Formats: sequence, C-alpha cells, structure tokens
Amino acid sequence: MLAIQVLINALVLGCLYACIAIGFSLVWGVLNVINLIHGSFIVLGAYLAWGAYNSLGLSPWYALLIAAPAFFVFGYLLQRLLLNRVITAPVLVTLTLTFGLDLILNNAMIYYFKADYRKLILNPPTGSISIFDVVVPVDRLIATASALALTFLLYLLLRRSKVGRAIVAVRLDRDAAVLMGVNVKSIYAVAFGLGAALAGCAGVLMALIFPISPLTSSAYLGKAFVVCVLGGLGSVSGALAGGILLALVEGVGSVYLGPAHAVTLSFVLLIIFLVVRPQGLLGRKGFE
Amino acid sequence: MFHPRLALKAFSASLLLAAASLGAAMSGASAQDVIRFGAPLPITGPLAPEAVKQQQGYDLWAEQANKAGGINVGGKKYKVEIVYSDYQSNTPRSVQTTEQMITQDKVNFMFGPFGSGAAKAASTIAEKYKVPMLAATASSSQVYDQNYKYLFGTFTPNDTLTTPLTQLVKAKAADVKKVAILARNDLFPLAIAQEMEKSAKANGLEVVYFEKYAINTLDHSATLSQIKSLNPQWVFVTGYTNDLLLIRKQMVDQQMKAGVVTMIAGPAYQEFIESAGQSAENISSASWWHPAEQYNGKDIFGSTANFVKLFKDKYKLEPDYAHASAAVCGALFQMAIEKAGSLDRDKVRDELAKMDVVTFWGPVKFGANGQINSLEPPVFQIQAGKPVVLFPDAIKQGEFKLGVN
Amino acid sequence: MTRTNVALLVLIACVAALPLFGDAYALRLGTMACMYAIFALSWNIVGGFAGYPSFATAAFFGLGAYTTGILMNKGVPLTLSLLGSLILCLLLAAALGAVLLRLRGHYFAIASLSLVEVFRELVNNATDLTGGGMGLNIPLVSGSSVLSDATFFFYAMWGLLLLTALVVIAVSVSKLGFGLNCIRQNETASNMVGLNSTLYKAIAFGLSACFVGAAGGLYAAWVHYIDPSDVFDILYSVKPIVMALMGGLGSPLGVVCGAFVYLGLEEVVWRNYIQIHSGVLGVLIILLLLFLPHGLISLHVGKIWRGLTGRKAKHV
Repeated sequence: MLAIQVLINALVLGCLYACIAIGFSLVWGVLNVINLIHGSFIVLGAYLAWGAYNSLGLSPWYALLIAAPAFFVFGYLLQRLLLNRVITAPVLVTLTLTFGLDLILNNAMIYYFKADYRKLILNPPTGSISIFDVVVPVDRLIATASALALTFLLYLLLRRSKVGRAIVAVRLDRDAAVLMGVNVKSIYAVAFGLGAALAGCAGVLMALIFPISPLTSSAYLGKAFVVCVLGGLGSVSGALAGGILLALVEGVGSVYLGPAHAVTLSFVLLIIFLVVRPQGLLGRKGFE
Repeated sequence: MFHPRLALKAFSASLLLAAASLGAAMSGASAQDVIRFGAPLPITGPLAPEAVKQQQGYDLWAEQANKAGGINVGGKKYKVEIVYSDYQSNTPRSVQTTEQMITQDKVNFMFGPFGSGAAKAASTIAEKYKVPMLAATASSSQVYDQNYKYLFGTFTPNDTLTTPLTQLVKAKAADVKKVAILARNDLFPLAIAQEMEKSAKANGLEVVYFEKYAINTLDHSATLSQIKSLNPQWVFVTGYTNDLLLIRKQMVDQQMKAGVVTMIAGPAYQEFIESAGQSAENISSASWWHPAEQYNGKDIFGSTANFVKLFKDKYKLEPDYAHASAAVCGALFQMAIEKAGSLDRDKVRDELAKMDVVTFWGPVKFGANGQINSLEPPVFQIQAGKPVVLFPDAIKQGEFKLGVN
Repeated sequence: MTRTNVALLVLIACVAALPLFGDAYALRLGTMACMYAIFALSWNIVGGFAGYPSFATAAFFGLGAYTTGILMNKGVPLTLSLLGSLILCLLLAAALGAVLLRLRGHYFAIASLSLVEVFRELVNNATDLTGGGMGLNIPLVSGSSVLSDATFFFYAMWGLLLLTALVVIAVSVSKLGFGLNCIRQNETASNMVGLNSTLYKAIAFGLSACFVGAAGGLYAAWVHYIDPSDVFDILYSVKPIVMALMGGLGSPLGVVCGAFVYLGLEEVVWRNYIQIHSGVLGVLIILLLLFLPHGLISLHVGKIWRGLTGRKAKHV
C-alpha cells in the first residue's frame, strides 16, 4: 500500500515540478540563457494569487488570467530593454545579469511583503479523495490538471502558431532562422515573456500548495535546474518526464534512505545525467 | 518594481546618511548622552522572518525606555539608541558585524544574533573585547559551555521544553506508546528533536521513526506516507514556520490522524495559527514564554499583561516568545546599568551576573555559565484557534485535548 | 614576467602593509579581501584561462573548511590540516575535472553548481564526522589578544594569496597556460594538434580548487565555528565570477582588482542600506555588466597603470 501511495504522490508532485520548470526550460532552450530570476518570478506569482484572493476575493483561477499577461509584458520588456543588450555575450555575462536581477527582485519582495510566510487558504478547504487506502489531495490534483493544461497550451502555441514556429526555428538553428527573415531579437523577447508568464502562472498554482515567502525562490530554482537537465532542454514533454523522474527518485529515496538523503540523491542523479546523457531523457543530442 | 530614479533617491539618501553620521561623530557632546546597543539581525536569508520579531522587541523596549526619559545612570538620564545591521542569516557575517559594531560603531553593549550557532560564534568576539552580550534566542547548552564571562542568555536549555511535554502526554494520554520524530537538519530544530528522543526513551515510549529532512525541502508526502504506515500515536515535528505549515498541510492531505501532534516552534507564533487555520486545532507545543503568563516584574514593562498591551498597541499583534525575549534583554540591560550606576562594561557585567529579579518574562537569574536557570517554560495547545496553556499548573488555562485530524 | 604580473605582485605587497595602519576590524576586512582575491585568482584559472564557467568554488571552499575543521578536532596542527585540505581538494578536483570538464557551456556550469549541493548534503548527513546541521566547532589556534590574533590570520591569508598569485603567474607563462588558452579558443582544434586537453583541464580544475580549499581551512580556523549552509554557500561560487567580470576576465591583475573593489562595494552597500543592500548590489552588478563589459582593466586608467608599473618595475 505504501508503495502505491508513494507512487501516486510522486506522479502528482512530478507534474508540479514540471510546471515549475517549464518556463525555465523554454528560456534556456531558446535563448541559451540560464534565467536565475525564474524562482523569484514564481514567488511573485504566488504573492499575486495570495493578494488577489485575500484582498479582492478573486479565486486563483482568475489570478491565472491576470498573471499570464502581466508577467508576459514584464518579461518581454525585461528582455527587450536589458537582456537583449548582452545576449551575444558569453554564457557568464547573461547568467550574472539575471543573478543581479534576481537580487533586486528578491530584495524588493522582502522589503514590500516582509519575509514572513503567508499561506493561501481556500475557503472551504478542498480536502482529499481516497480510493481504497490511497489518498490524493484535491488541490494538488487541480494544480496538476492546470499545469498539464498550461503545458498543452504551450505545446499548441509552439506547434501551431506563427510565433511558435519562429521560436522553435530560432531554438533549432539561430543563424538559419535569421536568414529566413525571423526577427531574432523580437522572438527572444517573446520567448522570455512566455517563460515569465509560465513562471507567474506556476506561482499562482504553487500558492495553493506551498507557503509563500521570498525565501522559497531558491528552492523553486533548484528544482527547475534538476528537472530541465533530467528531462532535456527546451522540450515540453521533456519537462514532464524530468519532473516525474525527479519526484519518483525523491519519494523512493526518502522512504528507503531517509528524507535527508533525497536531495543528495537528486543532485547525484543530475550529475550522472549530465555526464552520461546530457541531452536528457527526451532531448535531442548535440543541442547545447 | 525597481526604478533607476528610486536607486538615485536611495543613493542620495545614503549620501545624506553618511553626512549625518559624520556630523554626529563630530558633535561629541550630544553623543555622550546616548547609550548605544548593537543588534545584529538576519534581515535577509533563511532566518529573515525572525529578524522582524527581534527588531520589534528591541524597538518596543527602546521606545518605552526613551519615553520614560531614558536610562538613569547615577542620576543622569541617557537615551537608548539601537544600532542594527543585517548579517544575512550567515554566521561568519554575524561575527564580522559584531566586531564592526564594537570597534567602528562604538556600541556600549551587544545583543546576540539569532539562534544558538550565531550567538556562540559572535560571543567569542564579545568576550575578546569584554563587551557584555545578551542573547535573546540561544537555547543550546553548548553555547554556554565555553564559560564565557560576558555572555548571558534568556532561554533555558532545550530539555526544559521536551521533558514537561513528555510528562504531560504520559499523564494525560496513557495509550500513547509510539512516537515518530521528524526534524529539520538545522541547529535548533535538530537539537530539540534529539532532546525529544531522549525524553521519550526516558519515559518508556518507543521511538518508531526518527529522521531529518534537508533545509529547502519542498515536499514531505513520501515521508509522511511512511510515518502514517507506522501508526504512531504521537507525531513530533520540528522546523521553522514554513516547514511546519507545509508539513501540517500535507498531513491533512494524507489524512493522517494521531492522538498527539507536537510542533516546535511554529504554534507559538500567531502567523502559524492564522496560516494553518482549522488544521492547527489541538496541535501542542512548548516555548519559553507565553502571553498568558502573569508575572509582576520590576522591569520597565512591569507585568506580563502590561507588556502584552503595549506590544499590541504598537504592532496590532499578539506577542510571542521571540518578541518578548528581545524586549526583556533590553529591559535586563537597563536594570543592570541602572543598578551599576555606570556605563562601565565590567560593572554592568557583574550586575547581570548577580541579577535575581522578577520580570514580565519570568524570574531571571543566570547560572554560572551565563544561561538563565530560573524559568519554567510553558506547554500549550491550540484550542479553537487560540493557544491554551496546559502547564505549569499556576497559569493553566485548560485541559489537554487528544486527537488531531 | 609581464608588466601586469609585476603590478599584481606590487599590489599584493602593498596589501601586506595593512597591519601598520588598521585596527582589528580593518584586518578582518583585509583577511576577507585576501580570501576573495584567492577565490577570484583560482576561479580565473578555469574560468578565465580555459573558458569553463565553473560554479564549484563554494564546493571546495566548504570541503577545505570541513577537512581542516575535522583534522584540527583530531589534534592535527593547523599547518598540517591546511596542507591536508589543499591536497584533498587538488586530487579530488582533478579527478572530478577529468569527468566534468567534458561538458561544455551551461552543462558544465550546472554540473559544477550541483557539486556544491552534493558536497553540502554529504557533509550534512555525515553527522558523526561533521556534526551535520549542528555545525562543527574548531579549537582556538592561539587564544592571545584580539590584535595579534587578527594579525596572525591576516598574514596567513595574505601568504596564501601570494602563493596563489605566484602559481597563477607561473601557470600563465607556462605550457599549461598556453594549452588552456588554446582550449578556450578552440578545443576541437587543440585536440587535433595533439594537445592532451583532458589532462590540461584536470590540472587546471585541481589548481583552481586547491587554494580555495586551503583558504576554506584557514577560514574555519579563523571563525572557530562552521556549519554546512554557511561554508557551502552558493554565493561563494557566484562572487568570484562577479569579481572576475568586474576586473577583467582572464587577467590575474584584473580579477584581483575586481576582488578588492567588490569587497569594498559590498562593505559600503551593506553598511549603508540595512534593508535593501542586496538589491543595491544587484543594481551595481547590472550597471557594471552593461557599461563596463570588459571590466575595470579595460578602463583607460590603464595608461596610468602602465606608467606606474613601468616605473616600479625597476625597483623590483
């Protein structure tokens, strides 16, 4: 029974991890930028959901509708005005730039929201459903379903829309895309905006589940890193696969080795993957 | 959001600040009527929520002391000034800022940084410079085993929390046989969990699970499923407020039930009770102080009730033990200085060492190692959204209730 | 020896005069400045010369701190413990480097970053040896007066900085330095002309770790108490990169200047903005990256430098 319960926990948690990682993966894959501000975006999204629910009485579903465009614009402008200036510089420069941005955003959040933890409590509480002896919390199910829906939307966007095709084209071969007349700078900005929007939405969903504080941003960022490498960069299905794998390893690890070893295990797995299969579970080989 | 204009403003403000501090340094006459206290705070980093509490406690004391005209030193009144700094929840940084405050800011006395680890590290500096340091939140007895002369602390050792708790559970819930302990792998939470394990064994309970979880753990579902499968009657969890909120939520998600659920230190904090909502019901805990206590103190705050009232008026919050401990540290310094009638650090240190007085915090008397040994920490339980004191009997407000869903 | 290398040694020599002017707190800052400079110089071997963006500084700093801490608790004297930290970090990093440096770009960055996490959690869970989350106390070295203690650690850290600088200069003028340069410019081509790039990279990674490890050990003895989240702090990995970018990537003189300037900025900002210092630091980092992408060394103050160093070179 314990085994099944742990498996179910891991499946649900894995989808949440995928939701945390997907925007990060998109930005990394398309722009070749490790976006260290991603974790703080998620926290900001969570504060948005919390504020909307507690002061305006808006349920998190509506908060999603506000978060997506607001974060898109925010991300778009950030890329257009700031990151695009150094996008051709070496890896380190863009990484350090997002590090600086993260310091600012995180400090601003500590300043305005204070560091103490908040919690979004839905009224009435959603409870859990149990089938035989296996329990699944409803709020996690809802968040998982929304995460899957968001992921599917992104998939459609990349496959079907003109902008989406352009993003994929830039990801696969930047120079060829330029020759085909794609405005790379604007595609970069759109992709970064999308990444930010996904982070914001992830934040809204995480607010249902986790306590909210600027201090949690590094935990989110850490998960995004591992999920991306395990699943493969820039691919939507890869993030899902990576998320579920990570959750499984953590779950099984904490039952058999103790919870303190779960984190170690996930990072050891990450290093092994990097060395043995750097393209991830579902990634393409040779894509850097 | 951040604007360049704001940055400019902040920058010019800092220039003004620098100019002002220069001015203050030059006008030596006015500076002499002030007693400066150094208070390192973890304003950023993982301990940031604790910084807010400590600062509120210190500020309240400084405000009260100054409202009364200041501290009376041999007939002359001195205003209180507290110098803050952010040590970024980083122990070495707390050591650095302690030295900076003593040598650069020329503080007269020091408050300790948050928690046992940082307090222990910083006390080395205070000892070197012979500056009395009052630590508001250091409980581990290892902090005091160096036999420093200038370090004093207002928390009794960790076992004074777990022992009465275990005895209470044993007396009131005879069918509790199996305990599961889950601890954050961090100084204070781990230390108290180890004390709990000792108390449980000493009282004939079986510890069926004892594991640590890593700092920054985002999910406890697998761990909790495992604990659930072991059917303990008592679940004992330690951690900071975020960990405990998450674990409590996931316990509800997993439909875990137990006769007794204890969490340290979350339930002592108002924000835990608010954020956990219904799920906080019947959670038990222990801490070093509780607003329901009724001491008639000789300190500036007087009775516990008066302290609670002043605190509520200023912050619109129920004070918890972290607020109170910070405030009492200020009040103790004030009493020691007034008694010594001098700002001489050694004289004040001697007054602290022989202090034997009742305050709103409780009776205060420091042992030879500097740690307080006169407190009886209360055990309490959340009932109907309010903390209810169960022990000691003198301030008991209700009966222990079994069953946490 | 090139002029900039001479300038570097002169700069380090000047720092040694600090105890003549400063009090204990100034010495503390001086010790940290030397430590930061060791970080930046060490990082520069693998990040600047070979062009691999390493985030492993914190991993070896923590490892070195714990190695020395554990050895000293077992009664081993400080110098031997430091040597232990240095050798352990050198060997372990060289072995890891041979594997991890096959990865390029972001992949290497993340692998090195995960080293920090793995080391931290291993130390966290080896409770019997390290004390785990409870931290580790390290016996006092001298226990004498404030000032003599501060002076001792300042000169110890300074000596380590000098040693690091000498080794880095030796690397930069040796065949190893030349090889690393080739690897940075075009690794595939270097392999084709018969350069054993794996060996070179492994040595470089080892060298970039060993002094950081020794600095960690010294640091542990200096602060008497370490715990995993303090010494395996990811900021120790990020700071040297910012310093190197500030000073000028690849140039030993540049990164040391970067380290000193960074420490100065950090101290000023930290003191003056209690609530928002990390945000202000973020703004400064961004401004630097946007307006001074090649670091301080690219400033045309360079001319003044050359004049100065040219003149001083005669005395050395």
